[in-house]
Amino acid sequence: MTNRDLMRLEPNFTPCKKSTKKIVFSIIYYVIGATISLFFILPLLYMIAASTKSEQSIAFSNGTIMMFIPDFTDLGHFFTNYRVIFGDYDIWKYAINSLIYAAIVIVFNVIVNGLAGYVLAKFDFPAKGFFNFIILFLIVVPVETSIIPLYSIAKQMLGLRNNLSILAVILPSVISVFNIFLFTQFFSSIPKEYEEAMHIDGSSRVRIFFDLILPLSKPIVATTMVFTFIGVWNDYVWPMMVLPNTGDDSWPLYPIQAALTSIQSIEGITTGEIMASLVVTSLPIFVLYAAAQKYIVKGFGTAGLKM
Amino acid sequence: MKKSLLALLSLSLFLTGCGITEGEGDGGGGSGGENTKLKIRFHVDSKSSEGIAYKKLVDSFNTEFSSQGIKVTASFVARTAGESAYERQLATDMLEGTLPDIITFDAPNCAAYAEAGYLYDFSSALSNAEKEQFITLNTYKGKVYGIPIQESSAGFYYNKALFAQAGIDVSNITVDNPWDFNTFKSACAKLASLDGITPVDMRLDATKDETATYLLYPFIYAAGGSFVDETGLIATGYFNSAESKRGFQFLKDLVTANYTNYGIGATDFFTGKVGMYLSSGWTIPDLDNKYPATFKDRGSWGLLPYPKDVKAASANGSWSFAIGNNARKDKSPVVKLLKYLTNAASSKTITDATKMIPANKNVETHYEANSPEDVLYQQLQKTSIARPSTVGYPQFSSAFSQVISGLREGDVSTLVDNKANVLQNNLNKL
Amino acid sequence: MIIVALLILLGLFVVFMGTFIVDIIKRIHSEKKYHVREIITGYMLLIPAVVLAFFFVVLPIFFSLGYAFTDFDLLHPNLSDIHYIGFENFIALIEEFKNHGEIYYSLRNTALFVVLVVPLQIGMALLLALFCNNKRPGTTIFKICFFAPVAISLSVTAFLWLVILSPNPNGIMNAILGNFGIDAQDFLGNKDTVILWMVVISAWQGCGYQMLIFLSALGNVRKDLYEAARVDGANVFQRFFTVTVPGLRPTFLYILITVFIGACRVMIQPMLLTGYQDRSMTLSYYIYTQGFTYRHVGYSCAVALMMTIIMGTITFVQRKLLGEKKK
Repeated sequence: MTNRDLMRLEPNFTPCKKSTKKIVFSIIYYVIGATISLFFILPLLYMIAASTKSEQSIAFSNGTIMMFIPDFTDLGHFFTNYRVIFGDYDIWKYAINSLIYAAIVIVFNVIVNGLAGYVLAKFDFPAKGFFNFIILFLIVVPVETSIIPLYSIAKQMLGLRNNLSILAVILPSVISVFNIFLFTQFFSSIPKEYEEAMHIDGSSRVRIFFDLILPLSKPIVATTMVFTFIGVWNDYVWPMMVLPNTGDDSWPLYPIQAALTSIQSIEGITTGEIMASLVVTSLPIFVLYAAAQKYIVKGFGTAGLKM
Repeated sequence: MKKSLLALLSLSLFLTGCGITEGEGDGGGGSGGENTKLKIRFHVDSKSSEGIAYKKLVDSFNTEFSSQGIKVTASFVARTAGESAYERQLATDMLEGTLPDIITFDAPNCAAYAEAGYLYDFSSALSNAEKEQFITLNTYKGKVYGIPIQESSAGFYYNKALFAQAGIDVSNITVDNPWDFNTFKSACAKLASLDGITPVDMRLDATKDETATYLLYPFIYAAGGSFVDETGLIATGYFNSAESKRGFQFLKDLVTANYTNYGIGATDFFTGKVGMYLSSGWTIPDLDNKYPATFKDRGSWGLLPYPKDVKAASANGSWSFAIGNNARKDKSPVVKLLKYLTNAASSKTITDATKMIPANKNVETHYEANSPEDVLYQQLQKTSIARPSTVGYPQFSSAFSQVISGLREGDVSTLVDNKANVLQNNLNKL
Repeated sequence: MIIVALLILLGLFVVFMGTFIVDIIKRIHSEKKYHVREIITGYMLLIPAVVLAFFFVVLPIFFSLGYAFTDFDLLHPNLSDIHYIGFENFIALIEEFKNHGEIYYSLRNTALFVVLVVPLQIGMALLLALFCNNKRPGTTIFKICFFAPVAISLSVTAFLWLVILSPNPNGIMNAILGNFGIDAQDFLGNKDTVILWMVVISAWQGCGYQMLIFLSALGNVRKDLYEAARVDGANVFQRFFTVTVPGLRPTFLYILITVFIGACRVMIQPMLLTGYQDRSMTLSYYIYTQGFTYRHVGYSCAVALMMTIIMGTITFVQRKLLGEKKK
């Protein structure tokens, strides 16, 4: 006879009560969660649904529950909007541009800012305080202050025009004082024994950075990469200012968000087509986030973000 | 890890080096004579009907003038979001010496671009007769800087069925004999009596861009008002003169009487819920083709001119050709190109493609009397007046939009005085 | 331009050398020595960041500072057309404020926006983080849903919400309200509600990001502290206030400062939702319009400088009040 069997003989034993409470709690939890989730994703569901519809269909379904549901009755039209924006408006070219810009920026962003963070966290050298102070100061200054002079500096002083305009888009995004700050914080928490071990083996500091620090910092690196990607992907004010229009016959230079704003003003564009371009623009970020989700949550778990 | 980095690095250098863009390097030098290479930049997509028309013109110019050794290369740069971006382009071009020989610009910017030095003054290159052939010319401080490519105007599209239902007879309203503010209002009153119908869509919600300003500014001129003085730098006393306020008051009256509102749907007129729709000539193809359920042919809709008050005023102003103020010293081949692009034949080619109104009076337009196109054409010839010419045009447009948006509530006089001050304040900073 | 840049570089270099020398002197008599190799490697690795930061971060700020005292306007960008005008821009700024001009509304709207959005967004983020801080299956889906709006850009957000909040009776929100017998509203046109909606839209869009940060911070609170509290007889609420809240403090400060700074800089929302109007213009939008659309760069840099000073002061105060006590 096990303890359990003995317990069952007790007259007051009701094994169901405890787990009923749990089940009720769970149900409430999921209901609340689902309701709140709806609030967050309904506009997005609308976006996806509308992207499959024709103009009439959208006007028809607005205000009813159908507006969140793609139009399965009009299957002929389902992908038409997408075909139009890919075919007539060449949205894929802009997507590729954004991907290239983002990819380049992400890699160099992590390297440049990561190295800086590494030096500030792990090296001992005079005037370190000078740099730390400047960083804290620079984080506060808003970028609006700088956007116009930045234009002059990029275009006139550094001469990043025409063929070099791409650099004008990429370089300012590569440097991120904020990321340096994040990296410094995170790297400080890596015990120095690891480094010393590699030192003894004769590795150079640079080697240590790439082979030890970065792998150990996967969360923060992943986080930085994702958010840098989002930033570059979504940026349009600056690229529109510095990139020349290349005209139709050559490959356009604009990133996707910039193209998005101009697509919206094309004569005769339907709401459905605009929604489709919004979906296409947002999709990569969702995918990226879903994939990196695990790392991102860990990424901010630094030993207290000291401001 | 390192290998892939190297790959990325080389990729980025490769992309930069292989010249994805074509810099328009050659803008200067080269006097006329053998092989003058001219550059022209159009502001539309080359695949659009307008772009195709331009391409045709450039090609025929090249054929005709090859004997004189002039060749034109055209680039098509669709004007994407924002005047600011386009203007940055011009500024950068000036800086780098890549300003094309002929560029295009939107009429209200004439003053600013001339002042900034992007445009070349070609007043002396046109004879008086040549100047006369255009409905308007873009000028600043008495000098000519631009010739309109084509003209646009606007008016009140109306739903004939609804008008009949409301018992409104507009058969004797023409551009020579237009209606006035009061007749307009009574027509609205009659439309208001129809169930579920909004009398008129005055486009009050279009204040996020130039649309509302473009469509509504004539009302202020019609009431005898104005916006700025001749220098374009004084707004107080003009923007908020009694006459200007009268014009704004008319618009406010329409809001108060609920003849129009800020929430009219973009397609409400096209689905038969609105009696009149204030819009530009761009709407004509839509009415002809897109809404057969409500407007199956031209018997079901028409176009009425702007109502007059103290005088008759209608809108004009579209894009213009200009000569870029680049380093080229001998502008004569450029002038030849300019004259070619704006002569009657070219004007016809362009407007046949765009369905807008030719800016050249010599173009034979066979518009049916009292057809929508005819109304627009007559307006352009007889009553159109340009938007204020001022270096501070964006400031003006902004102030105007803010007045329109502010008509929702409060008193017109204070609102207009307020915005005139804001405008003046901004103009003072120049 | 290059000359000015060189002068700025020189100035910064002097300050740098100053701290450099001071640090070296401090170490002369202490036991811990600097290793030359370390110093050299360190600086070498810092070079890319320093060079880029100098050109694209530091220099623009100094230039902007300089422009603030000139009458630089975009129609006359040549050096010969730029004149030093002292504090005229600042005087104009104050005058405009006193006369309830555009800058008055920009400041008022921005302040209102910040005061509303910061608590709302942070509050929502914290609540959602607490909600998701468990191992129940399906919580990941919730997390993705809550984060979803962050992934879409502000322009997409604005466009979506424009469609939702359309003043037309057939607009989505109006249609829904219509089912309850409420009249069609002009949400973004009404000066009393436009800022509220901007706040809702911004919080909706951004709180997922802060939620993630809170989540990871929650994950770092030591579990044994919770155990100890439970043993001591603390209930759920008491545990929250005695263990969770102190544990979250540095994270909270970080989030407060970043959300605050972000809120101060709001520009895209009013630009895309309503255009440049009194009821919704914000400081950043004002600076952008004055500088780019109206072409008064000098004046706009002066306003930007003022904005930086205000934001910097508030951030500094936040740090002092909520930061770690220095030992």
